Amino acid sequence: MSGPRGTKLVARREPAPWVESLVGQLLALLASLLIALVAGALIVIAYGESPLVVYGAILRFSFGSRTGVGYVLAIATPLIFSALAVALCFKGGMFNIGVEGQYLVAMVTATWAALELDVLPGGLHVAVVLAFAMLGGMAWAAVPAILKVRTGAHEVVTTIMMNGIAISLLSWALNGPLRFTNAPEGQNVDLRSDPFPPTALVGDLGKLFGVSRGAHLSWLLLLGIALAVAVWFLIRRMRLGYEARAVGQAPGSARAGGISIGAVQIKLFLISGALAGLTGMQQILADRGYLPQNYVSQLGFTGIAVAFLGQNHPIGIVFAAILWAILARGESALQLETDVPREFVIILQGILIMTVVIVYQVTHRRLRRRELGRAAIGEQDAAEPAPVGAVG
Amino acid sequence: MRSDVGAGQEAAPPLVALERITKSFPGVLANDAVSLDVRAGEVHALIGENGAGKSTLMRVLYGMYPADAGRILVRGREVHIGSPRDAIALGIGMVHQHFVLVDPFTVTENVILGDEGGAILDLDRARERVAALAERYGFAVRPDAVVEDLSVGEEQRVEILKALFRGVDILILDEPTAVLTPGETTELFGNLRQLRADGKAIVFISHKLDEVLEIADRITVLRRGRVVGETTPERTSKAELAEMMVGRPVLFRLERPKVEPGPPVLRVDDLADGQALRGVSLEVRAGEIVGVAGVEGNGQRELAETIVGLRAPVRGSIRLGDAEIGGERVRDIRNAGVAYIPEDRHGQGLVLDMTLWENAVLGRQDDPPFAGRFGTLVIRAMRQLAERLVRTFDIRARGIGVAARTLSGGNQQKLILARELDTDPKLLVASQPTRGLDVGAIEFVWRRLLERKAAGRAVLLISAELDEIYALSDRILTLYEGRITGEYPPDAPPEEVGIGMLGGRRAAEAEP
Repeated sequence: MSGPRGTKLVARREPAPWVESLVGQLLALLASLLIALVAGALIVIAYGESPLVVYGAILRFSFGSRTGVGYVLAIATPLIFSALAVALCFKGGMFNIGVEGQYLVAMVTATWAALELDVLPGGLHVAVVLAFAMLGGMAWAAVPAILKVRTGAHEVVTTIMMNGIAISLLSWALNGPLRFTNAPEGQNVDLRSDPFPPTALVGDLGKLFGVSRGAHLSWLLLLGIALAVAVWFLIRRMRLGYEARAVGQAPGSARAGGISIGAVQIKLFLISGALAGLTGMQQILADRGYLPQNYVSQLGFTGIAVAFLGQNHPIGIVFAAILWAILARGESALQLETDVPREFVIILQGILIMTVVIVYQVTHRRLRRRELGRAAIGEQDAAEPAPVGAVG
Repeated sequence: MRSDVGAGQEAAPPLVALERITKSFPGVLANDAVSLDVRAGEVHALIGENGAGKSTLMRVLYGMYPADAGRILVRGREVHIGSPRDAIALGIGMVHQHFVLVDPFTVTENVILGDEGGAILDLDRARERVAALAERYGFAVRPDAVVEDLSVGEEQRVEILKALFRGVDILILDEPTAVLTPGETTELFGNLRQLRADGKAIVFISHKLDEVLEIADRITVLRRGRVVGETTPERTSKAELAEMMVGRPVLFRLERPKVEPGPPVLRVDDLADGQALRGVSLEVRAGEIVGVAGVEGNGQRELAETIVGLRAPVRGSIRLGDAEIGGERVRDIRNAGVAYIPEDRHGQGLVLDMTLWENAVLGRQDDPPFAGRFGTLVIRAMRQLAERLVRTFDIRARGIGVAARTLSGGNQQKLILARELDTDPKLLVASQPTRGLDVGAIEFVWRRLLERKAAGRAVLLISAELDEIYALSDRILTLYEGRITGEYPPDAPPEEVGIGMLGGRRAAEAEP
C-alpha cells in the first residue's frame, strides 16, 4: 500500500494498484494468447493437420537456432518503431494512421542522405542518415498535425491522404532523383537506388551472438529498445507526456489546467513522425543496402496492430513486436514443413487481436469494479474523527 | 388499484423485503446485514453519505450484484434475482443516475427498446400505450419527441416510463434529483405522488435532506454499510437526519466571519462572449464572497469560463486588480492568481484515470518544484504535494497512487479544492461547488470558501442552490439571460431574489 491509511475492514495486505494492474495485464495477455492458440488449433485440425506439428514448426523456426531468433528479432525491429509512433499519438488522444506514409517519405530522405552525404565518416554518416529519416517522418507528420490544430481537420482522414501521396512521392523519387546510375551493363535490373556506401549502413548485431549474417539482425534493434524506454520515460516522467495524457484522457480538464492542447498535440505528432521515420531503416540500411522499388510496405499499419497488442505500453510493444514477428516468421515454417497455407498465420494474428480486445475489456472492467467497490468503503472508513474546522 | 393511500398501510405486507443483506467486495464490506422493506403506496427514502452502501444495496435488489448473504422477499415470497431481467420480471425497475437512452430515437422508441414485442414493430400501438402511461401519471412528455431534444428532466421521465412500460410496481430511483433544476424536481415529486397514489412502491435514494423530508413516507439511514436508523418525516428533522448520516452534528448555517471588504479584486465590465453573456458587469472585492444566483442556463457556466480564460470575450473587460485578463491564456490567468472550481468536475477538473498525485499538480506542472530539468517532472515533489493535500483537506483515499476515478464525488471535489487553493489565489471562481455532494462534504466546502474570505481573498460563487448563495454571500447578484438583473444584500427575502432570477428587475434597470 502506498497510502498512509489502511482500512479496518481490510484484513490482508492489498497490493499496490499498479502491481495489481500489471499482474492483471500479464495474465490477460497470456489468456488471450492461449485462447487464440486453441482457436488456431481448431482451424488446423479442420484443415486435416496436427496443431502440434504446425505450432512446433513455428516455434522451431523461431527458437530452433540462434539464427532463427535473429530472424525474429530482425522482423520485430521495424515494428517496434512503428508501434511506438502509433502508441505515442494515442496517449494524446490522436490516431496516427499516417505512420505508413511517414516511413515511406523517411526512406526517401534517408536514401538521399545515404547517397549524397557520403563524405561523412562511418559512424557519423549513419547517424546523419537516421536523423534524416526522422526528419522526413516528422515533416510528413507535421502536415496533418498543423491541419488538425489550425483547422480541426481530423488526423485519421488527413494521414490517410498523406499516405497516398507518400507512395507516389517514393515512386517519383525512384524514377527521378534517386534512380540508380550505374546499372550493370546489359542487365535488366529492377528499379532501385544506387547501393549505399558502407558508411551509411547499420552494423550487424547478429555476429556477436552467433547469428548468421543472413538474418540481418542489426543495431537498430537496440535503438528500438532504447527508444521504447525513452518513450516510457517521456510519457511517465516528463511534462510533455503528462500533459499528453491529460489531453488524451480529459481535454477539458487539461485546458482548464492551462495546458495548450494544440501545442501538445503538435509536439506529440512530430515525435511520433520521427519514430515512424525509423520504421523503414531496417530494410534499407540493414536488409538491402539500397532503396528498392519492391520495398516492404504496410509496416505502418502492422504497427497499429502491434501497438494494440502491447496495449500502447512502450515495453509491452517490444514484446508484442517479437510475438508478431514469431508468427510472421512462422509463415516460412508453414510453407516448408506443413501443408497448411501460410495465410494461416494471418488468421492467427487476426484471432489474437480479437481475443486481446475481448480479454482486456473483461479484465479491465473487473479490475475497475474491484477498485471502485473497495474505494467506496475504504474512504469513509479511513479517517475517523470528523476533521471539519480542524484545519485552517 | 388502491385509491385509499395511507389507510391500512401498516397491515399490508411489504412488496419487497430485504433481510440481512450482506455484500462485500474484495477487502470491503459494502452492506453489513442490511434489512429494508418497502410497502405498496409508499415512498421509502434511502439516505446516507456517498459510499454508505445505498447504491450497492439497490444493485443487489436489481440483480446487478449477487448478495453474499441474506434473503430477498418479493410479495412475501423468497426470490432469487440473478440479473436486471429477473428483477424486471418480478416488477422491480431501476432508474440510474446516468441515463441510458438512445439520443436519435423518439421517446416511444426508447421506451419500448428491449421490449418491442414480436418481430414486427407496431409503433402506433406502442405510441398509444406510452401516451396512455404518460397521461395516467401526469408525465409531461410527448411520445414522438426525439430524445436528444429533451431536457434532463424530460429524459428522466422517459427513463421512468421505460420502467413503468415493463409493468414494474417497485421503482428504484438512484439520486433522481441530482441532475434536476428546482422546477424539474417539483415536477418529479408530482409524478412520484401520482405513482404512490397508484400503489407503486418507490425507493428514493438521495442525500438531499430537504427533498427527502418533503417526499418520503419513511426514511432509512445507512452509514458505513449498516442501517443506523429508520424514521418518518414527522418524527425527525433535517439536523437529526444529517447527524445520523454523518455520525456527528452538522451545521447548516455557518458562522460567517466579519471582514471589512478591501479594494476590488475582480472587475467585470460589460462582458459578452457572443453567446450566453450579453453584457455582465460585476465587482468582487478582497475579503468578499459575491454570490451569483440564477436558474441554470442563463450564462453561469459561460461567465465562469470567460473569467478563467476558457472562453474568449467578444466585448467588455475583465480586470484582476489593475491588470486586464480578458482573453488571456488560461495559464497566464492562473499565474496571475485566479483559481477555478469548475461545475463539471470530471470534464474540467480532474483527469479521472490519473492518480491523485498526478491530479494534484494539474496546472502547476510547469512551475517549480514540480518542473525538473530538461522537461522532466519531479515525481517526489508531486507526491509530497499530494500527501500534504490529502492530509490537510482530509481527502479519503486508499493512497495517493489510486486513480481519481475511485474517489467519491465529495473527495474528488476536495481534491480539486485542495489543488486550487494551495497556491493561495487572489480570486477563486467557484461554479456550483457543492453539486452532488452530501451534507458533510458540503459543509466542508463551505468552510473552505469562508476561510478564503477571512483570509482577505475574493470569491465569486456561482450557484443554482439558493441555500448556498444565502449561506455564504456578502452580496447576491442575479443572472438572467446573460445579464445581471439585480443586486441584493444577504438578508434580502428570497422571494425578491427569486424575482431577479427570473429577470424581473430588468425592465426597471433599463439597458443603457
